[in-house]
Amino acid sequence: MSAGQAPKEIGEISFGLMDPEEYRDMSATKVITADTYDDDGFPIDMGLMDPRLGVIDPGLECKTCGQRSGSCNGHFGHIELAAPVIHVGFSKLIRRLLRGTCRECANLLLTEEEKDEYRDDLERTKSLRQDVSDVMTAAIREARKKDHCPHCGEVQYDVKHEKPTTYYEVQQVLASDYSERIAASMQPDEDEDDAGISPQELAEQTDIDISRINEILSGEFRPRREDREAIEAAIGADLTTEDMNKLMPSDIRDWFEDIPGEDLEALGVDAERSRPEWMILTVLPVPPVTARPSITLDNGQRSEDDLTHKLVDIIRINQRFMENREAGAPQLIIEDLWELLQYHVTTFMDNEISGTPPARHRSGRPLKTLSQRLKGKEGRFRGSLSGKRVNFSARTVISPDPTLSLNEVGVPDRVATEMTQTMVVNEKNLERARRYVRNGPEGHPGANYVTRPDGRRVRVTEKVCEELAERVEPGWEVQRHLIDGDIIIFNRQPSLHRMSIMAHEVVVMPYKTFRLNTVVCPPYNADFDGDEMNMHALQNEEARAEARVLMRVQEQILSPRFGENIIGAIQDHISGTYLLTHDNPQFNETQASDLLRQTRIDELPDPAGISEDTGEPYWEGRQLFSELLPDDLNLEFTGTTGEPVVIEDGQLVEGTIAEDEVGGFGGEIVDTITKVHGNTRARIFINEVAALAMRSIMHFGFSIGIDDETVSVEARERIDEAIQSAYDRVQELIETYENGDLESLPGRTVDETLEMKIMQTLGKARDSAGDVAEENFAEDNPAVVMANSGARGSMLNLTQMAGCVGQQAVRGERINRGYEDRTLSHFEPNDLSSEAHGFVENSYTSGLTPKEFFFHAMGGREGLVDTAVRTSKSGYLQRRLINALSELETQYDGTVRDTSDTIVQFEFGEDGTSPVQVSSDDEVDIDVDHVADRILNSEFDSDDEKAEFLGVQEPPTNLSEHGAAWEVESDD
Amino acid sequence: MVDVSQHELVPEHTVLDEDTLEEVLEDYEIDRTELPKIKRKDPALPDDAEVGDVVKIVRDSRTTDEAIVYRLVIE
Repeated sequence: MSAGQAPKEIGEISFGLMDPEEYRDMSATKVITADTYDDDGFPIDMGLMDPRLGVIDPGLECKTCGQRSGSCNGHFGHIELAAPVIHVGFSKLIRRLLRGTCRECANLLLTEEEKDEYRDDLERTKSLRQDVSDVMTAAIREARKKDHCPHCGEVQYDVKHEKPTTYYEVQQVLASDYSERIAASMQPDEDEDDAGISPQELAEQTDIDISRINEILSGEFRPRREDREAIEAAIGADLTTEDMNKLMPSDIRDWFEDIPGEDLEALGVDAERSRPEWMILTVLPVPPVTARPSITLDNGQRSEDDLTHKLVDIIRINQRFMENREAGAPQLIIEDLWELLQYHVTTFMDNEISGTPPARHRSGRPLKTLSQRLKGKEGRFRGSLSGKRVNFSARTVISPDPTLSLNEVGVPDRVATEMTQTMVVNEKNLERARRYVRNGPEGHPGANYVTRPDGRRVRVTEKVCEELAERVEPGWEVQRHLIDGDIIIFNRQPSLHRMSIMAHEVVVMPYKTFRLNTVVCPPYNADFDGDEMNMHALQNEEARAEARVLMRVQEQILSPRFGENIIGAIQDHISGTYLLTHDNPQFNETQASDLLRQTRIDELPDPAGISEDTGEPYWEGRQLFSELLPDDLNLEFTGTTGEPVVIEDGQLVEGTIAEDEVGGFGGEIVDTITKVHGNTRARIFINEVAALAMRSIMHFGFSIGIDDETVSVEARERIDEAIQSAYDRVQELIETYENGDLESLPGRTVDETLEMKIMQTLGKARDSAGDVAEENFAEDNPAVVMANSGARGSMLNLTQMAGCVGQQAVRGERINRGYEDRTLSHFEPNDLSSEAHGFVENSYTSGLTPKEFFFHAMGGREGLVDTAVRTSKSGYLQRRLINALSELETQYDGTVRDTSDTIVQFEFGEDGTSPVQVSSDDEVDIDVDHVADRILNSEFDSDDEKAEFLGVQEPPTNLSEHGAAWEVESDD
Repeated sequence: MVDVSQHELVPEHTVLDEDTLEEVLEDYEIDRTELPKIKRKDPALPDDAEVGDVVKIVRDSRTTDEAIVYRLVIE
């Protein structure tokens, strides 16, 4: 492939090494000067900014392809290295090949049979789609065991790799002080039972002539290898030292050139495409200037890219190397320069190699070289390719708006005028298109751009909008503003499950925040303490259709995690329905119609009776709630309060409506309506329950204050009494323990038993304090209402507020840490009493003593640390899980396969069903006949009045779905 | 020694004969190398399973009573 011509279609990608000849072929110029620009500011020929390498200044023409900056991608140049250097990226592979091939004949150190074996192994591993590199590792390990080459018989030495790019051959040679060493070990050792050895004995043992032994001992004769080994065995001493012989890159290159191609194939290397000697660089490609643009600073000075700086270093050293070699400099200097060249080429490719000091900028900042551009979160892969910034997106703070439907989102007008949708003009929408253009870019349903049929884009401005509007004809495209009813995608990070990204319908609103219905907070895990969310305007019909059908909030009511609804009433909604239905209160006509005002019920049902006091008709809470239920709903289950909830033909006959009935996370009624009556009906129901509940909670009034958590004097006394008796019992336990009379529980020590019993006693004390407090609170106490309905808080919270906070714990034990033998300096050492180990006898309302406060903070700290650790751990775990699973896909035959078609599951989830399409309840069998009948019936009706059937719309919730308004406006 | 394959939590592993294997592979339109793998030394395998064989594993399933999985025996 010649430079500058990108292929149109990619049939195959193969990875391999690059031939230095190929570098030279594709090079636009050889680079020989380290300078960039001359004094006049023009790039120097054959310098690093040579105009043949591409253009970055606008207006200039590329000398290679003739194109201008922007359309010319740039061209590679090359540097001829004065001496070969090692490519750091391949240092491991080089080491393997050095160890696995013969130092003399370069053949793989394996017999033909072994080679065949590994070839077969490679074949098999490939067909099983397993890691081929394992085979190579095994083959090299086998080859390394050989002392002699099976082909030429040459002795093999160990190759030592000093990171990152130095290789040594290690040979065992006779130490220079061998005679001293022999003499030393021949001496008798006085301390131990070593009698020593005489030269005669040594000669006998080693079969060496006695005169030769004497010569060796005097240092006149160097023993050969066999003799040396014999002497070593006889005297039990080591006579060798390691001799490190450095392998220069040129030696390695020569070595690798001789490795036969078929031997490489046995290792899984394609010799045609990747000759191993290409891992030793003789030519260095110079990236085009477009890949390392220089910036002109305000003062006119040019600032070069880090890569250019590095290339300057390489060229300078390269030149010095050549000059020195030509001048016949001593070997030492040449080697130093060679090493320096190696360092610069290494850091040019990777500047974060361990053991190598990173190359630095003049300011001391480490240079960002090739590998740093690719690696990590901000690198080319994760930062630029998989994480691109997008147009048509907005981010702002969110705030609640209970008047919106859960399908909707309030979009600030200034966002709506920026995000646009393409509108293809035709005869039918011509007038509307013209109106948008006439409104200009500032007025709300306006337009920002128009595209003429010839493809020219014209910006709509305040000045030209009137004139432009008249010219709009069918066939034009208008980039109109977002209007009510458009579909957009809404997202809150972290996007942990699929409900973190859902599609909403737009409602354009004043002010600067996104508005959403509070019932969609649980799936997004959003609150309004400053949370921000992102919005994406969809840019083509497919995306809009897909979003509307699959991603709309109402389609996500059921969670795939547990197959029940995740959207439902929350917090005040639950308190509201609880107040409305728990005691089944009565309402007069005005009150009743006020409660149902925000729902689509526009006629009150028949009154439940006539009030005896006033003589007026009255309606009951449960009756009003029933108005929201589908007429054919029948349900019976045990509700939140433990009492049965009975719904017959869409009428709530008995029971309280609270969390388990209409709440998110498995509210029975919401769940059933979603599964039986469909998502649209469920959306209407949830919207209306929220509206009714808000009206109802406003009718009754709901507030909470300090007095609601304060118990009477008499109750306080009883609580104190309970705590005091617990203290007494603890004291008794401690006394028995100190007397040694405490019997240990099975499998525990006495100390543990004491701790457990004390914890139990104090736990009971807090519970009984809680019971007293609970008795003391009325049923209509707001905190009790919230706890009983499941809206927020629990009886435990109430106990802690009113009765007694109780035992504080760190790591599941009473607080034991702090000073030596005591928790705080306020206590005697080894005090086992409850107050010395973190029992808080006060309640939050009565206030904690300083010591109690400290213990409470200790327990609280543990909780905070746990959450912090848990979120970071689970976040990382989730990232890895998602990366591993992201390519799995359920196929049409029901199997789950990865991208290489390997089967992961033979049937999706073993049963081939989606959790949201299946009953989550084991006890309730789905009445298939009933469902089928219902569908058939509706089909039959449509036969008669088919036209009418097709015209039927989804009933609006009349909460600000601006029904008629957007149907006229919308063009899709 | 405990024979793991007899444990109640270890599902039944049987070696598939060639004919049934053909059918299975045809069913899923795959090559046998595209099946999930199991190591020969896996203690749950029956003794007569050899490298290259395909075993059928019948598991108890909470939702479908039985879940059938095929695996290729490798080294």
